Amino acid sequence: MLETLDLSDRSVYLAATILYGLSACLGLYGILRSKPYPRMGLLPLVSVAFLIQTLALNLRGASVGGCPLGNPFEVAQFISWSAVLLYFIVGPVCQLRLLGFFTASFSALLGLTATLFTAWDQPYPAGRFGGEPWIELHAALAIFSYGVLTILALVSAMFLLQQHGLKRKHHRGIYALLPSVQQLDTIAWRLLITGTICLSAALVFGALFWFDNPDRVPLFKLSMTGIVWFGYLMVVLLRLRKKLVTRRHAYATITLFILALLSLWPVQTARQPGATPNQPEQQIP
Amino acid sequence: MSKPNLQSLFVLGCSHHETPLEVRERLALSPDKIPALLQELRECRDFSESLVLSTCNRLEIYVHARNENAQHSIREILCRSLNIKNELLVAHAYRLHNLSAIQHAFSLAAGLDSQILGETEILGQMKQALATAQEFENTGSILNRLFEKSFQTAKIVRTQTGIDKGQVSIGNIAADLAKRIFGKLQNSRVLLIGSGEVGQRTAQALRNRGVQQLAVSSRTTQNAEHLAAQLDADHLPFEQIHKSLEQFDIVISSTAAPGLILRHEDFRAARRVRPAQPFFLIDLAMPRDLDPSLNKLENCYLYNLDDLAAIANENLARRNAECEQAHVLLNAQAWQLWLQLRRRSFMPIEKNQNV
Repeated sequence: MLETLDLSDRSVYLAATILYGLSACLGLYGILRSKPYPRMGLLPLVSVAFLIQTLALNLRGASVGGCPLGNPFEVAQFISWSAVLLYFIVGPVCQLRLLGFFTASFSALLGLTATLFTAWDQPYPAGRFGGEPWIELHAALAIFSYGVLTILALVSAMFLLQQHGLKRKHHRGIYALLPSVQQLDTIAWRLLITGTICLSAALVFGALFWFDNPDRVPLFKLSMTGIVWFGYLMVVLLRLRKKLVTRRHAYATITLFILALLSLWPVQTARQPGATPNQPEQQIP
Repeated sequence: MSKPNLQSLFVLGCSHHETPLEVRERLALSPDKIPALLQELRECRDFSESLVLSTCNRLEIYVHARNENAQHSIREILCRSLNIKNELLVAHAYRLHNLSAIQHAFSLAAGLDSQILGETEILGQMKQALATAQEFENTGSILNRLFEKSFQTAKIVRTQTGIDKGQVSIGNIAADLAKRIFGKLQNSRVLLIGSGEVGQRTAQALRNRGVQQLAVSSRTTQNAEHLAAQLDADHLPFEQIHKSLEQFDIVISSTAAPGLILRHEDFRAARRVRPAQPFFLIDLAMPRDLDPSLNKLENCYLYNLDDLAAIANENLARRNAECEQAHVLLNAQAWQLWLQLRRRSFMPIEKNQNV
C-alpha cells in the first residue's frame, strides 16, 4: 500500500513531529487549565507519532541501505525515536506522570529543529555501514543509550521543577502533577546506570572496529565520545560515594546530556568527508 | 409562587446555614434514636416513604407525602422525638418541595451545601442514611431513586469540576506535600514533637495516608506517653531528638516552647548521614520551633503554619470559583430526574411549578 503513496521520508518525519507537537500541546493544555491530566488522550497520540516516525526511519533506512544514522538530521530523529521507545517502557513501569508530556515536547522540539536546519540532512554514501556489523551494533547501541540518557535528562528536569515548587511553596498546576522528588531521584539513578552500561557497551563494540581499522576512526570523534562516556562514569562514581546527589546530580546529568548532544555535531562532521554523496531523500514510486 | 402539591417529595430540615449552634444542639439526633424515629415515620399514614439524615451540621427528614397533613405530621413526630417545641422548628427549619428538594439533595451529595465546600464526608453519611432507611423498609422507589441519583450526580460534579480539588485542612495539606516529596508514605518515618492539637491531626492525616512508623516526643514525658498510646506510636525521649533526627523523614513540631528547638546545625549533621534522603519539616508552632533557614538546606523542605494556611485559603477560593459550574450541572441533573418522576406518575404535575 505504501508504494501507492507519493510521500518522501522527510514529510513522514514532519508528520511525526507535528503529532508530537500536538501531544505536547494537549498535555500543556491539561496542565494550564488545571483539568485532569489527559493521559488517555496523550498516549494514543504519542503512539501514532511513534509509529509514523518508525515508518520514516524505515523509509530512510531502505534508501540509504542501512541504519539511518549518517547525518545530524537522522541522528536527531533516531534519538527522538529512541527516547519515545524508552518512555513506553519507563512510563508504565515506573508510573511516572507527565513523562509523556516531557518526552513529546522534547521529540517535537528536536524534530522541529532537525527539520528547520536543512543543512543537517546532508547526503552521504548509501550503505555507509554496510558489511560492518560491529559498527552497526555500535551505532544502534550508542543511539539507544542516548535515548536512555534523554529520558534521564527529562526526569532530572522534572526533579528540579518539583524541587523548585516545593522550596518556593508552589502547589498548583504542573507541580501538583509531577511525581515525588524521591521517586524521580530513584528513577534518575536507575536510568543513569542503564544509560552508562549501554554507552559503555557501544564503546566496546566501537573499539573492536577501531582496533582493526585505526585509520577509519577520526581521533576527534574518539575523544568526544570518550569525554561524554567519562563524564557519565564520573557521575556514577560520585553518586555511589554520595558526593553527587539530588539537585547536583540532576544538574550534572542535564549538563552532560547537552554536552553529549553538542558533541554529535563534530562527531558527524568528522566522518569520512571524501565519500561520494548520495541523495537520501527518495520518493516512493 | 403557587402552593406546592402536598402529595409530593418533601424535605424538612435545619443546617449550619440558617440554624445557630445552640439550636442545632437541641435538634441533634443521636444515632440510637434514629431507628425509633424511622419506625414512627413508617407507621404514619401521611407518608409513603421517609428517610432521616442526621449529621453534626444538619438534621433532615425526606418524605414522599400522601396528603397535605404530611408537613404537620413530620413536625409533630420530630418534636416528640427530640422533645422540643413546635415553635423552634417553625422558626429554624426549612421546607423544600419536589424539584427544590431534588436540587437540595443533589447539592448536598456534591458537598456544595457543606460547611467545608466540596467535602466528601457527607456522601458517606447520605449513603449510610439511605442504608438505614432501607433496612427499616422506610424507602421505596422515589427516595431510593432520589438518593441513588444524588450519588451519581455528586460523582459527575466532582469529576467535571474542581469542587473537591485541593485540600483545605492543615493535616491533609501536609499529607499531600509529603506525597510530593516521598511518593508512597508506607516507608516514611514520622516524628511528632509536642502535643498540639494541629500536630496530632497532621500526624493522624499522615497515618491515614499509609505512614506506619510514628514516634512522639514532648518536653512533658507524661503527655508524650499518653499521645503515643493514643496514636499507636513509639515514644522518643525529648532529650534524644537531636541525635535521632536522621532516623526520621518527616518531622512535625507543635510545641509551646518559647524559642527554636531544632536548628540548622542539627539537620546539617543529620543530612551528612543520609544526603540523598529528603527531610520534610512541618512547623505548626507559634512561636516557631524550627529554624526558618532550614528551607535553604539542600533536600530539606520546611513548611510553617502560614505556608499551610496560605495553601488552604487558595484551595478554598478555587473551590468557591467552581461552585457556579457545579450548580449548573446538578440543576440539569435534578431537572432530568424531576421529569422522569413526573413521566412515571410518581409525582403529580403541579401548576406553575417554579423551576
